[in-house]
Amino acid sequence: MGRDCSKKEVRGTAKKNNHEIRDPIYAFVHMDSSEREVLNSAPVQRLRHIHQLALTSLVYPGGTHRRFEHSLGVMELATRIYNAVLENGGTDSLDIDRRYDEIYYLRVLRMAALVHDIGHAPFSHASEDLFPGNCNHEAMTLRLIESDEMEKLWAMLKIQSEDVAKLALGRDHPKKKTFSNTEAILSEIITGAFGADRMDYLLRDSHHTGVAYGRFDHYRLIETLRVLPKTYEDRSKEPALGVEIGGLQSAEALLLARYFMFSQLYFHPVRRIYDIHLKEYLQAWLLGGRFPVDVTGHLNLTDNEVMAGIWRASRDPDLPGHGVAKRIMMRDHYRVLYTRNPDDVLKYREAGLAIYTAASAVFGEENLRHDRPKIPASQAAFPVLEPDGRIVSSLLKSDALRHIPEVAVDTVYIRPELLVAGRAWLNENRENIIESGSELEDTI
Amino acid sequence: MKKIQRDGLLVELIDELTNYGSWCGETHIQKATYFLEAMMGIPLGFPYVLYKHGPFSFDLSDELASMRADALLEWEIKPEPYGNALKTTDVSAGLKARVPRTLARYRPAISFVAEKFGTRGVKDLEKISTALYVTNEAPGRGCEARARRITELKPHITLDEAKEAVSFVDEMFREAEPVIREIGGGET
Repeated sequence: MGRDCSKKEVRGTAKKNNHEIRDPIYAFVHMDSSEREVLNSAPVQRLRHIHQLALTSLVYPGGTHRRFEHSLGVMELATRIYNAVLENGGTDSLDIDRRYDEIYYLRVLRMAALVHDIGHAPFSHASEDLFPGNCNHEAMTLRLIESDEMEKLWAMLKIQSEDVAKLALGRDHPKKKTFSNTEAILSEIITGAFGADRMDYLLRDSHHTGVAYGRFDHYRLIETLRVLPKTYEDRSKEPALGVEIGGLQSAEALLLARYFMFSQLYFHPVRRIYDIHLKEYLQAWLLGGRFPVDVTGHLNLTDNEVMAGIWRASRDPDLPGHGVAKRIMMRDHYRVLYTRNPDDVLKYREAGLAIYTAASAVFGEENLRHDRPKIPASQAAFPVLEPDGRIVSSLLKSDALRHIPEVAVDTVYIRPELLVAGRAWLNENRENIIESGSELEDTI
Repeated sequence: MKKIQRDGLLVELIDELTNYGSWCGETHIQKATYFLEAMMGIPLGFPYVLYKHGPFSFDLSDELASMRADALLEWEIKPEPYGNALKTTDVSAGLKARVPRTLARYRPAISFVAEKFGTRGVKDLEKISTALYVTNEAPGRGCEARARRITELKPHITLDEAKEAVSFVDEMFREAEPVIREIGGGET
């Protein structure tokens, strides 16, 4: 974008305006000099020091990559998706019918993609709960997008911070604004089911961790993306990102990749317990147990400071969080006592909670941990364009999509020294606990 | 409201929508749930944004997926012109049995909304729920002003369609009054 091929510059006499950054997934990420100013801003540069996958490298040693390269990748993919969607037509609902708008929205989209993660606290999602009050990483992202430093950059690029924020945050915009069709679709190009964020983290995390399940044919998928009305829903005209029929298999592959990566990597039980231990350390280490939410405080805190703190605390019993720091450094994490079982779910949906509560009464709450995260929907339903022009639901066309399970996690952990006793106790009491757990009080 | 109670009410809503003739796609559930919260005052706790074609809760969408993961709901693929429907299961009947008091309290509101929405098409529901969103955005505004606001926010809706949707919502509010009183809407 922004290339002007009409002017041939003499080598060595003109300042280079277009830049390429090497990338292990896409070979090159492209940007121009103005955009590089945003890349060089403090909030984006800080992402060089925020791990994409928190302490995952304790389980998958290759998983040490950072949010910085992910953000570059999302910008590159968002551009490719945007161009493909425009080239494939069907964008009447986007109101992008004038040259000016097309360029403006491309710029906004690219910058939104680049900054979509700048509000993350150290170790990303692992420590999300430690923002004070109603703050979260989306609210911090908004605060940074609207900061003095970034506002100057948006003015230089001639784009509005409000537009950048809407596209960067999409559904999670803290102010819950209204979305036009254009804004909704463009934000979905970054954050949706076929968005650049999802595509990049699957491909990149797979590449770095060696968990090959995350790969899929993103080239084919992007080439076939279209904005399509969901006419199969009672002739609704609501536009959504969908695919031409030729891209259905690559869409299936993406959704299967997501399922496998969620179950094999993101929600791997050992990886999850390190998130919990990390949060425990941070609660002991941070002032008041909460992250700072002012811009300067946020920018000054990265994984580096936290890791140095863990390293020191693990060796000094007088420092806050010594016990859990040692646990992290020595890889002495709590062990799995119970994991979700479909049969148990049929008897009692919150079987893990029942077991955690009963086990806490026997072994002490401090020796147990319970993990029941809320997991976003896979969004397997989307419009598919048939060769004859009809638009049908993906679930009608694909047995595979109809049967991809939603990921669910319900795990109870126990202190390593109590694992043998805990398992023996659970074997004896499991059925009774789950049965009795189903008798919940229906108070209103 | 506890998760089990909230999910019990969602299962009841899906059953009631089906009973009143709805094919029960996610749009029906989304818009009907919005009315349960924004008109009837049931504190389900799903945040809504005014999205492409009306109010939409991504949290509700995630919750419906979680309910599918736990075998409380399942897809039913309908022939054209209908899309993906959600239907309840034997497991969900068990869930309802565990929250009898919650269901007894809020059932009149669920039946009221389900009856109003059961036979309406997706496009109608999009307009009506947008009208409720605009009505709640600045209470007290007249029909014309709200209709204009709708066309400003959602240009694909004509002014006449917007006026019709606002009138429908006003009438529905009037009819809902005794039901809201009966369930003590908004109180937890």
